[in-house]
Order: sequence, then C-alpha cells, then structure tokens
Amino acid sequence: MLTTVAAGRVFDYSYCIGMYGMSGQGFWSPQDFALADDNVMYVISRGAEELGQRISRVTQDHQFLGQFGANGRGDGQFVWPRSIALDGDGNVYASDDFLNRISVFDPEGGFISCWGEAGDGKGELNGPCGMAFDADGNVLVVDSQNHRVQKFTHKGKHLGSFGGHGKGDGDFNLPWGLCLDTDGNVYVADWKNNRVQKFDAEGNFLLKFEAAPRSGVGDLHGPTGVAVDSEGDVYVTDWGNHRLQVYAPDGRFITSLVGDAQQPSPWTQTYIDANPDIVKARRRVNLEPEWRFRRPVSVRVDENDRIFVLEANRHRIQVYDKVKDYEEHPLNL
Amino acid sequence: MANREDIALMGHLMRRAGFGASHDELREMTEGGYEATVDNLLNPERFDPVDDDLLFRYMPGYEGALGPPLNQAEWVYRMINTERPLEEKMALFWHQLFATGNSKVDNPPELTQQIAMFRRVGLGKFRDILVELAQNPAMIFWLDNNGNHMGAINENWGRELLELFSMGVGNYSEEDIKEASRAFTGWTIGPKIPRNPLGRFYWNFEYRPEDHDDGEKTFLGHSGNFDGQDIIDIVVNQPATARFLSRHLYNFFVADEPQVPSWNITPPNDPDAIDQLVAAYDESDGDIRAMLRVLFNSDFFKQARFSRVKSPAELVISTARLAGNFNAPRPGFNSLAFECAYQGQELLNPPSVESWHTGSEWIDGGALVRRVNFAANLLGDTSLPGVKSIVANLRSRGALSPDDMVDACLEMVGPLEVGDITRAELLDEARGAGELRWDTEADVAESEKRVGVMLALIAASRDFQFA
Repeated sequence: MLTTVAAGRVFDYSYCIGMYGMSGQGFWSPQDFALADDNVMYVISRGAEELGQRISRVTQDHQFLGQFGANGRGDGQFVWPRSIALDGDGNVYASDDFLNRISVFDPEGGFISCWGEAGDGKGELNGPCGMAFDADGNVLVVDSQNHRVQKFTHKGKHLGSFGGHGKGDGDFNLPWGLCLDTDGNVYVADWKNNRVQKFDAEGNFLLKFEAAPRSGVGDLHGPTGVAVDSEGDVYVTDWGNHRLQVYAPDGRFITSLVGDAQQPSPWTQTYIDANPDIVKARRRVNLEPEWRFRRPVSVRVDENDRIFVLEANRHRIQVYDKVKDYEEHPLNL
Repeated sequence: MANREDIALMGHLMRRAGFGASHDELREMTEGGYEATVDNLLNPERFDPVDDDLLFRYMPGYEGALGPPLNQAEWVYRMINTERPLEEKMALFWHQLFATGNSKVDNPPELTQQIAMFRRVGLGKFRDILVELAQNPAMIFWLDNNGNHMGAINENWGRELLELFSMGVGNYSEEDIKEASRAFTGWTIGPKIPRNPLGRFYWNFEYRPEDHDDGEKTFLGHSGNFDGQDIIDIVVNQPATARFLSRHLYNFFVADEPQVPSWNITPPNDPDAIDQLVAAYDESDGDIRAMLRVLFNSDFFKQARFSRVKSPAELVISTARLAGNFNAPRPGFNSLAFECAYQGQELLNPPSVESWHTGSEWIDGGALVRRVNFAANLLGDTSLPGVKSIVANLRSRGALSPDDMVDACLEMVGPLEVGDITRAELLDEARGAGELRWDTEADVAESEKRVGVMLALIAASRDFQFA
C-alpha cells in the first residue's frame, strides 16, 4: 500500500530515484548515500570486482551531475567502497572495507586526502563501514571486523573507541551502519547480532532495537543502516528481510515498510519506453516484485522527516514522507 | 595414527568427491575412518551451508548477478569455500550432464538457480531430479519447451531428455521422442518481468492445462494419457537409463571413459564396475546417494587413483583451495572463473547441450600451458597461506635430505604419486642445492624459496594434471 498508518504515524510513499548503471547515470550495488545541500545527494556504488566503483552526484529530482572515484588502490580510488558521510563543510568521506581507509573529497569530488591503517590496534581499522560526524566535527567509524566503533578527528587522529566482539549489551558482531541523533546518541546496526544498539555520546549502552522477547515482532535479519527522525522514531534497513523496520524512541516496534515503487523512476521509465517489447511484456505480468525493496541497505531522514531508503539490489532510492497533518478519509467511501 | 597409505586413499576420495583437501584435513579425516568420511560426504546437511549473508554482504554483485562472469565467480566461491564438498561436486556433475548455457539463456541468475536446484536435490532419486529439471525455467528455455505446444510440438527437450540426459542413443525411436514431447506440452515458463535497469527477476515454471496434449500416447511400449511425470517414470525404469547414468558417474568420479557420443558403440572400460553401479541403481530405486556409497566404497574406485584428467574447474578450484588465499570473500574470484574458461570450461556456459568433452580432450597445447602456469604460479607463491602452511610442515620435520624434501612436497599436494621421469626431474632439482636446512634466518629464507620452486615444479608436472 502506498500509505501506511500505524501507531499514530503516517508514512506516505512519494517517488523513487535511480536505476542500474555500470557507469554514468545510475548506480551499481549502491551501499550508502548522503544528503547534501541544494537537493544534492552522493551515492556510493560498490560495483563488482574491478568495475563500477564510484561516487555519483545526483539531485533529488533526477539530475545526474557527475561521478568521481574509480576502481584502484591509488588516491581517490576504491576496491570495496562501502559508506559515505559529509562533514560540516560538505566534504565527502568514503570508507573502503577492503583497503581499510577513509578517502576524503571536496564537494565537487576533488581528492583531498585519505587516512587509516589496517590492523586491530587503537585507531587501526579492519573493514571500516558506516560513518557519521558528531557536533564537534569528529567522525565515528564502524570498525566492522574489529567489532567496535572508533572516533577520529576529521584528519584521522584517533580519539577513542567502544565495543568488542560478542552478543551482550554493548558488544558487536560485524556491525555495519551507524547514525547520531540530535542529542549525540549513537545508533549502531549490529549486523550479525540482528539488532540495533543505542549508546550515549560516550559509548555507554542505553537501549536496543530487536525482536520482541516473546512475540518476535519487530525482528531484524542483518540490519545494515539506521536513521532517526525529528521525533525520535528509528528507521532500520532490515537487509535480510528486504524491509524497513520502524521503531518508537523507546524501542517499541511500530511498522514495516516493504517498498512501493509502482511508478519506475524517470531514468528507468526512459529505458522501458525505448523498447516496445519490454512495454508489451510488462503488460502481461504482475509487477509487484519490482515495487518491493530488495536488499535495503541504507536509510537517511532529512530535516522534513522525509525517509530515503537505498536498495543495493534494485540500484535505487525509494522516498517516503512522514505526514504530520494527515486527515483520515471517510471510511464509508 | 593414520598411515601414509590411508592418507593417500583419503586424498583420492577428496579429490573425486570434492575439490581436494589439505594434508591437515586429510589427516583428521583419516583418523575418523574412510567409510565414516564417505558417510559425511553423502550427508551434507550435517555441515553448515555457505553463509549467504556473509557472501552477499561483501560481494553484493553476486546476488542476482547481472552478467557473467559474476555468476561463475559466485559458484567458484562456493566450490572453494563449501563445507559440503560432495554437494558442490554433484552440482558440477549435473551441470556437466544437463549442460545449460548462458549463450542462449542469457539470464545468469536463472542458471544460478539451476545450480542451486542441483545442490538441493542432487543426491536424491534420479526421478525427482529429472522432474525438477523438466520444470526448471532455464532448462525449459534452453531446450525450447516453452515452444512445445499441443498440436505443434517442439521435440528439443523430449529428444535430449532421452538422448543426453537419461538413456543414450539407440534405446528409443523417433516416435518415442514425439510422444514424449506431446506429454511435456503445457510445461512452460510463466509471464515474467522483463530485464530492466532494476536488475533481473526470476522466472517461474507454469503448467498450462489448456496447452497440454492429454490424448493417449505410446512411449517405449507403454500406452496411456501420459504427462511429463509419467514419461519420466517410464524413463527411470529403463535398464538403459541405469546403465547410462552409471557410466556417467563412473566417468566423472572414477576413471576417464571414451567420449559420451561413442557410448552406444564403445563398451565401458570396466563393465564389472558399471554392473555394480547398475545394481545399486536398481536396488535403491535410482537413489544417487546409494549409488555413490557403493561407488566410493568399491575396490574399483579405490584402485583408480590418478586415472582421470582434472577438468579445468577441478584443477582451478583444488589448486586455489590448496593455496588458501581464496577462503573468504575478496576481489579476484572473477579471475578464477575466467581461468576455468581459458582452460576450456566456461562454467554455466558449456559449448552445447552435449556438454564438454572430458578426459584427454581437456588438454591441448594452449590449455596445458594455462593449466601449468596457473597452478605453478599459485603453489610457487610462498606468501600464500596454504603454501606457508606447507613450508611450516616441512620445517617442523627439521633438516631434510633432497629425497625427503621431494617426498614431503609430494605428500603435501595430494599426496601426489608421480612417475619415474617426474621424480627424477624433481630429485635433480632438489639435489642441486643439497639438504634443506632451517638453522639460521638465511637457511629459512633459502629453504622457503626452494620449497616454493619445488611446489611449482610439481604443479607443472604431467602427474599433477590427473586427479
């Protein structure tokens, strides 16, 4: 359904952006994205083997502005690009969980620097994934295969870390994405433990979002990304179950969104319209599998509480509005 | 304590029922016993499957792979990293028997689905495997059964079912082919979402009763209103089917046979062995697991060491497993998939429905150079974890004479049995530099280098080409 009403919230499907593209317009196995000023978004594509790795600059109204980065091990290049974050100046930070480094680009994509050393010592990285900047301009990095979160200055000086391998509160097993709320609390997608954990700014465990103890409601299978809206509701990309789970600030499960892209993006529609056989074939088949999320991997919420969900295997972003002034229609229509 | 002969036999079993095993793995299996190992191989559900989540986290392009070689690389990853080696080896066996190719199907995820089906049912009853195959969308499209309609049959699937997949040439008539094809009318693929920039969408088998010829048919002497399952029921009860399948299993697991197209005029190399497998088929109602239990525990199997030329997939996978540098998601699996193709076996894209010719036909001048270079480069690289482990094993034995060094290296890569000419060449190399010593750092560095060279020489030998 295009509009989901649950527990006093209303989520209304809006539109989608993107399509597959080995290069240029489109994304290839995108893993993360960041919302910048002026409707610009940066989308980081994983590609496959030695093709497709890049960061795309696009607008929320479907303009392709360009791309930067490519496969390789040199400055500004990637092997396994994973996650992306913007600092206060709009510079772009991209993690690479094969090269164990963070690459920094200016807003136009010019390479600035990279930092990060492979290892498991303090400040060393093994599989860096999600990143987020705090109010002081420092960056938190999910150090996935070291099962911890590390904090660095924007130039890569190590400031601290929390977490270790395990299942208990505050432990991690291959964590993936993370985000901060406006109070500086840290939410970490604890991938292999099938939960999201919330910590205060010092890394003290506060709360977890996972399956309810008896009913199993609100369960997660390999959560990858997390975001918090202005009202404290928490959105989790439930990668293994191909859905977005929504939780109240206290951890209570609210609802699931499963993807509603009934209208292809303009980029995709152009492709379809160019081939009469494809138009014909689409008229004979149930298109629902095409609407639904496939490997939702990252979620972001903008200042208007619009929810953007990136799908790795559909190479697109679906956008929902959290409607605040929704009026129920007459039920006897 | 496992003795050398027991380990050699276990190495033979794991080369055939899997993709080889390290010396440490062989030692551990040998402690458990040969028949117990066979039992474990035949019951793969006792071991964890490949962790799909972990694979798709790091290699998202493998899931619903948009094009080759990504789908081939995904399978290579599984063959190297599986803890269920026979399940994967059987998938390769069925792929070679029921050869389906991307050259026509042009849908890599559907071919991957077919391999997953082989993984799921490949050790079960032959009847069930044929039914799954007949309903597999990639196969339906590959052999045109979607164009096989009531009143306008397409014989492609019906013909190959009998000729290549079950009975072999000479055991049925042209009329049987037509009647079988009538029975499979209406077995097709449902309408599908066409490819688009959102990726691929899976095809689904669909039975259309309005397109099915429900009239009476006469097939291999039986008459009735047969549908596809009835045809398969008749096929699997034919003596020719038991014999044809047995010969395929023998050719794949035991020793090279003549090429398949000549089987109707060329008798098997070991008729007694085929008889034993046929008996197992008959006694078990065509159960593949039961046939393989007989095969792996038989004397004819145990005595057939190094009597098969490794297929390119076997050579590439087993060497990569031994080298130990592909035991987790990482870049580079595409290159292994390409390597199989360069050596003459492009996985998921066989040359035709007749599949690849095997045995000595895997080898020609170009393929041999690629095979030798690939294996020698990997096993000669002392920075790789598997090779380091071999060096560590040799070092743990202390100083080694040149003869002992050669024996130890051969033991570590198979154990590999070599002929006199190869042994003489290896000894010549080893004796040239004297005893292998580990007393000083300089000794260690030199000895590591010499072991690498020796392993590369072994990998380049004629004997290494055989499984």
